Amino acid sequence: MPRGALQVGLSIGAGSAYANDRLAPAAAMADSGRVTYIGFDSLAERTMALAHQRRRRDPATGQDERICELIPLLAGYLGRGHRVIGNFGAANPDAAVCDIVDSLRAQGQRGIPIGVIRGDAVLDLVRSLDCELPERQTTVAALGDRVVSANAYIGAEPIVACLQDGAQIVVGGRIADPSLFVGPICHELGWALDDWDAVAHATMVGHLLECGVHSTGGNFEDPPYRVVPDPHRLGFPLADVTRGDAVITKLPGTGGAVDARTMKTQLYYEIHDPAAYLTPDVTADFSDIEIEDLGGDRVRLWGARGLPRPANLKVLVGVDDGFRATGEISFGGPGCVTRARRAEEILRAHLQPYAASLTDVRVDLVGLTSLFGDRPTNVEPSEVRLRMAVHTPARGVADAAAHEVELLYFGPSGGGGVVTSVVPALGVTPAFVPRELVTLSTEVVHS
Amino acid sequence: MILREVAYARSGDKGDTSNICVFVHDAADYPMLVQRLTAERVKGHFAGLVRGDVVRYELPRVHGLNFVLFQALDGGVSATLRIDPHGKSFQSLALAMEVGEGWSIEPLSDPWHASGGA
Repeated sequence: MPRGALQVGLSIGAGSAYANDRLAPAAAMADSGRVTYIGFDSLAERTMALAHQRRRRDPATGQDERICELIPLLAGYLGRGHRVIGNFGAANPDAAVCDIVDSLRAQGQRGIPIGVIRGDAVLDLVRSLDCELPERQTTVAALGDRVVSANAYIGAEPIVACLQDGAQIVVGGRIADPSLFVGPICHELGWALDDWDAVAHATMVGHLLECGVHSTGGNFEDPPYRVVPDPHRLGFPLADVTRGDAVITKLPGTGGAVDARTMKTQLYYEIHDPAAYLTPDVTADFSDIEIEDLGGDRVRLWGARGLPRPANLKVLVGVDDGFRATGEISFGGPGCVTRARRAEEILRAHLQPYAASLTDVRVDLVGLTSLFGDRPTNVEPSEVRLRMAVHTPARGVADAAAHEVELLYFGPSGGGGVVTSVVPALGVTPAFVPRELVTLSTEVVHS
Repeated sequence: MILREVAYARSGDKGDTSNICVFVHDAADYPMLVQRLTAERVKGHFAGLVRGDVVRYELPRVHGLNFVLFQALDGGVSATLRIDPHGKSFQSLALAMEVGEGWSIEPLSDPWHASGGA
């Protein structure tokens, strides 16, 4: 449906789906003249904990690491007075503001108002409440010093506050993905944050934009059944939003596709009960959404409904799980599976002395068992790759386990291409806290 | 016939929970999808990978089903040693399910079966 004379709307685009997303499509979105708001989701469940790790090493860090690369790409867009919302703050929103201010000043853009949202870091709160960690079947106190971070998913409310105070860039920490879009939509179109149907509609739009190319042909192709044009240059999605509907599309001339299929797969991505999608802003009902494929990479959606927002906020708790060592080695040709299994026996024998310190050991044959477990097959692959992964609290044991994979060069014949790595293992696990115990604040500063 | 001939899917992760949404290419096949792709069948198909319950939600408006697989990711993205911690590939395992004959869509090809895979 074209935007009618009485339908007040706004156009909003996606700028990133995670911390290391491509920058060029964001620059294209900014330079397109097509949108006045861009939302940048730069966090995933693990990104936040990794950011806290960086901040523990250096208190001046913990923010998104690519702000200084991104801001120059947005110079023209910001110069035209348009707006950006991002969770670039990660574990340190104030450090993100510093980077943004420095970048803007370096390109001669002074006086740009930047809204910062503080208060999503709630480690002290989850400690004092001794929150349950249901997926670990334990509590915060029981894990002691291993609990290293806690961030509450926060919603659109502080974003709207920043925008009302004139912010052109809004930065926070663990802003929930769809809320990055719910804030500007509700602010610009004047929707109350307790108009649950309206907030659910905005949340639907946010959900379709926050994963970037997931809506335009990314993580979608399965030839010959599902193919999109030019998958090497997928465009980021954007939405034309009114109270009655939203039309999702992408920039002209970009690759990929926006059609009923790409919309359906993203609409229900990472949704559990479609009638009760819980966000900090709303309990959204996506079970009765209608999808009309308008052709030309345009899809119209409407019909989301809302119920009041949840009383609790979800918190992601970061847990120090020691170290993770991985190592891989390939075997090929006749008998490769037998030789790889023999290598596994040798490897497990050499790991035996470390057993007391290994909290988890896994050995898979890539090409045979690594994704779906040991399933019956009557075809021998022409090559397999043994992959070992272990968890241990001891760095030395992790190094020794990785080294044992390297030593498989002297195991069964023909093993080649060893790669190993040892990294800190940082777990994240959910908890829930009463919303009223999380105190958020906002401030607008200028570049 | 395998599900891939008549439907498409996407899997996602939240903590230790995976969801897989499945949609038929031809709306006429939706009643058959509802009949054949039960939560019990999906749970059986994912045996060894999923330790918890499988819950199914029907999405008649978009001719799809949403499956929620609990304790499906070996502790979750950050805890598991699996090579695919997110379960991104679960969508492909779902599409390998045997779903019988009688669908409105003719099989396009069946290379997976022709090569004798799982």
